[in-house]
Amino acid sequence: MTFGRIRTSLLVAFGAALASLVILYWRYGADTEVSGEKIVIASVIGLATGSLYALSATGLVVVYTTTGMFNFAHGGIGVFCAFVYWEIVENADGLGLPPGLGLAVVVLLVAPLLGILIDLILMRRLRTAPLVVQLMVTVGLMVFLLTLANQIWQADQIRGVKPLIDRAEGFNIGISRVPYYRFANLVIAGVIAVFLRILLFRTRTGVAMRAVVDNRELTSLTGARPGLLSGFAWALGSSMAALAGILVAPDIEFNPANLNSLMLIVAISAAAFGQVRSLPLTVVGGLVIGLLESHYQQWISLGPDFTFANRAIAPIVLFLVVLALPQARLSVGRVSTNLRPIERTTRVWEGAFGAVALVVLAYVLAKGWFHFGVWDPGEWSSTGLNKGTSAMVLALIGLSLVPLTGWAGQVNFAPLAFAGFGAFLWLRLGLWFGLPDTGGTGNLVWLPLIGLLCAPLGALVAVFAARLSGLYLALSSLAFALIMANVVFPHPQVLPRVHTFQSLYLDVGFARQDFDTRFSFFMLLIVMFALGMFALIVLRRSRFGRRWVAMQDSQAAAATVGVNVVWTKVVVYATSASMAGMAGVFWATSLSSVDIRSFDLLAGLTIVLLMAAAGMSFPVAGLFLSFQVVFEGLAERLEQTENVEFLVWLLKDFFAKFGPGLLAIGMVVNQRGAIFEMGKGFAPILPWRRDAREELAAENARKRVTEVGGLGLTEPFTSEAIIALDTQLGIVDDVTPTAGYHHGVSRA
Amino acid sequence: MTPPLLELRGVRAGYGIIDVLHGVDLILEPGTVLALLGPNGAGKSTTLAVASGQIQPSGGQLLIGGREVNGAKPDALARAGVCLVPEGRGIFPNLTVAENVRMMTFSGTSYSDVSDRAYELFPRLGERRKQLAGTLSGGEQQMLAMARAMATNPALLMLDELSMGLAPIIVEELYGQVAQLAAGGLSILIVEQFAQTVLGVADSAAIMLHGRVTRTGPPAEIAEELTAAYLGIESGGPS
Ligand SMILES: Nc1ncnc2c1ncn2[C@@H]1O[C@H](COP(=O)(O)OP(=O)(O)O)[C@@H](O)[C@H]1O
Ligand SMILES: [Mg+2]
Repeated sequence: MTFGRIRTSLLVAFGAALASLVILYWRYGADTEVSGEKIVIASVIGLATGSLYALSATGLVVVYTTTGMFNFAHGGIGVFCAFVYWEIVENADGLGLPPGLGLAVVVLLVAPLLGILIDLILMRRLRTAPLVVQLMVTVGLMVFLLTLANQIWQADQIRGVKPLIDRAEGFNIGISRVPYYRFANLVIAGVIAVFLRILLFRTRTGVAMRAVVDNRELTSLTGARPGLLSGFAWALGSSMAALAGILVAPDIEFNPANLNSLMLIVAISAAAFGQVRSLPLTVVGGLVIGLLESHYQQWISLGPDFTFANRAIAPIVLFLVVLALPQARLSVGRVSTNLRPIERTTRVWEGAFGAVALVVLAYVLAKGWFHFGVWDPGEWSSTGLNKGTSAMVLALIGLSLVPLTGWAGQVNFAPLAFAGFGAFLWLRLGLWFGLPDTGGTGNLVWLPLIGLLCAPLGALVAVFAARLSGLYLALSSLAFALIMANVVFPHPQVLPRVHTFQSLYLDVGFARQDFDTRFSFFMLLIVMFALGMFALIVLRRSRFGRRWVAMQDSQAAAATVGVNVVWTKVVVYATSASMAGMAGVFWATSLSSVDIRSFDLLAGLTIVLLMAAAGMSFPVAGLFLSFQVVFEGLAERLEQTENVEFLVWLLKDFFAKFGPGLLAIGMVVNQRGAIFEMGKGFAPILPWRRDAREELAAENARKRVTEVGGLGLTEPFTSEAIIALDTQLGIVDDVTPTAGYHHGVSRA
Repeated sequence: MTPPLLELRGVRAGYGIIDVLHGVDLILEPGTVLALLGPNGAGKSTTLAVASGQIQPSGGQLLIGGREVNGAKPDALARAGVCLVPEGRGIFPNLTVAENVRMMTFSGTSYSDVSDRAYELFPRLGERRKQLAGTLSGGEQQMLAMARAMATNPALLMLDELSMGLAPIIVEELYGQVAQLAAGGLSILIVEQFAQTVLGVADSAAIMLHGRVTRTGPPAEIAEELTAAYLGIESGGPS
């Protein structure tokens, strides 16, 4: 894959973006006349903003190239630092530092420290982890930082950040005023670019950072310290995110969610423009996005139905870049050093048993037939049933990730977008085809049709990115989620602002069952989940399931045994989209109304994160999505009790809010998820699982061996330790080092 | 008695769940050259990866200068004077020749010393300082890789299949340099597939088969046995 070819493809992408802008103008141009003056001004604004995007994106690229980690928390770090800046500079009750000093404190102190901490605590352990785990941990970090920012700087107060140079100061082009601070931004970004160039090409550390990209193993063989290099890259990357965040803040509504959705996507899109490798192309990418945004604002007005369409520009650029990039070569030759041990697949009868057990258990619990000694919870109230319903709806959406991410190892950040599309179809099919009533038909016999219609959408998202590495598939699902959430769903023709979906029923002609009570709807969801879980267990044992798992283990190996990797990815994506779409029908029915907040990126990411933390390869992981609901429910029950404020706080404000982020971050230590660990403890109890008992015994045996032999394996021995060990083992070794040996090797 | 410069005692190691070395014993005496020979896939490169700290042994001991250094990081060993020129091209293709030379300073030698020595030994590299290393010819790339060994004055040098894919005349030139280093008293561990290449420089030789060192002895004897071993493998079917 040559640089020239990439450049051509990017030119095509850029051309396509520009052409769509022109077409949009031709069709929907605002009533402004085109004038040179306006073009100049829109360009200045675009370049200034774009240079900040470029700044942030460059930080992302520096981290990716030196450490191999694609950091979804990059924008989140910028957001957090921007709010720290607000706290120490703008907050009336804060320190009130002068802006210059505050900027220096945040960019040169807070951000680098944060970056180094992140590297030390999390990222270093993930270098050889599978892409899914890497992505989940960084996304978890993003969600965590954002939740933290939201908790500290709650939205009860309007905040703002002033530009470094007063807005009023500037000069005129014709009758329009261009403030100086925009130029200041351009200059700052330019200075940083020059600084980076010097750093990377003129200093030894910089050369070493580029060397890591080229040949990581060889870099450490030269004696360069990889830990220092990666720490430095994280510090640098965080500083750049912070600087960009602070400088962008004056131009937008300053709240964590808003700033994050901007910083996240612009940095990623610009970085993708440079294939997350080339710094010059990344800068171009940032400028292109900035220019497209400002010219869009200047010339095009799509009306109130497309209020948020400007937020889709960066995702669209990302999509186009993915489309235009030439096919990546499969990396053959090196087998991943952390091959997964073979996983036992659940047997069909076990699945059937589990499914039935789940339905029975849910029924008994909800009816209140179950007593725990003196504690009799009683029949579930309507609030209880509502909570159960929202948990099960999430569980159904979560199921769609099992084959895709859990088995095939492909990341999808857009489960809610697919669910929303299913909801849209459910609603519109009813309206368009004059099926009974307004709204959805309500009759579940049409459900498979929704699944069928959602599949092509999934295929569409995957088909361009499937040629590329797994990262790009994750990125295009992110772009897809943002485009759907900002352009498609808010449109009143897609989902009405306020709409009550009618209750569901199943009418097969000779028999009819209604699900119009809370209890029956809840039980319907339980049955759907049980059916879905069972279907997945059967699917996992089928040819498709085996193929998908084979693909995750090694794409190259799968390809050599005749699996068409691209096609397989597309099929599994379509399957997942179809499952999510069907889940969307229940989701929409459970909500009283659907609006843009229902599709918030974070809501979708929470589903993905919780599924990952539970262990995506297990269908039952879907039940973990009830996590937040359960914690909130418990907290509400406890609220009536006295003296448990701390517990309530812990459940409601800590676990329920920070849980998803923290659990995903926890994948650093437990990559295979909670269910796997639980199963390891639980399975040996089951009478028919002799294999599990044997495995446990074998593992314990392995542990015993390493405890003795492994004493010195992680650290160089001291002579005392060797003597102690030898005495312990009863070995007298004639070359046991004595105190006379000193560390290191004598020079020849 | 000075301890061996490098010693592996019953070293076991592998990649993930795949075991490759099943108890390797190997001794390199100070100031000598040892050739480690064996067929493709025997585990020679893996042995060097263990000795340079790239792979942690899962069993056994790695001793350098008589000191157990199991678990030491490759960069720490490099700074302590262990130099591995890995299989393939041990260079950074997207850095210029000068930048590659600059990367040699991390083991503790100053830039001026390293560049003076490197360009003095290989004037051809001096002429191409500004060129990207990846655009050099195969022989020039191997010279650049060797330059690190020669310019940084290591205590232990390990060379992995230096001759691979190079014209005989260039191989001869490179081994000429190795001989000079050996004459200067440097301890060297050379890995090759074929004995002929190293017969001139090696003081002793060892055969590695299926993750074990099966024989050690004078190079000439080992060369004969090696041929037998290869034939044995071929007649013994795939393994
Ligand atoms: N990165 C790796 N991952 C998995 N297996 C490997 C890797 N590198 C080498 N191997 C396996 O280890 C064995 C020994 O390889 P190697 O040490 O390179 O042999 P040699 O250098 O003697 O040709 C081979 O079977 C090879 O397939
Ligand atoms: Mg080899």
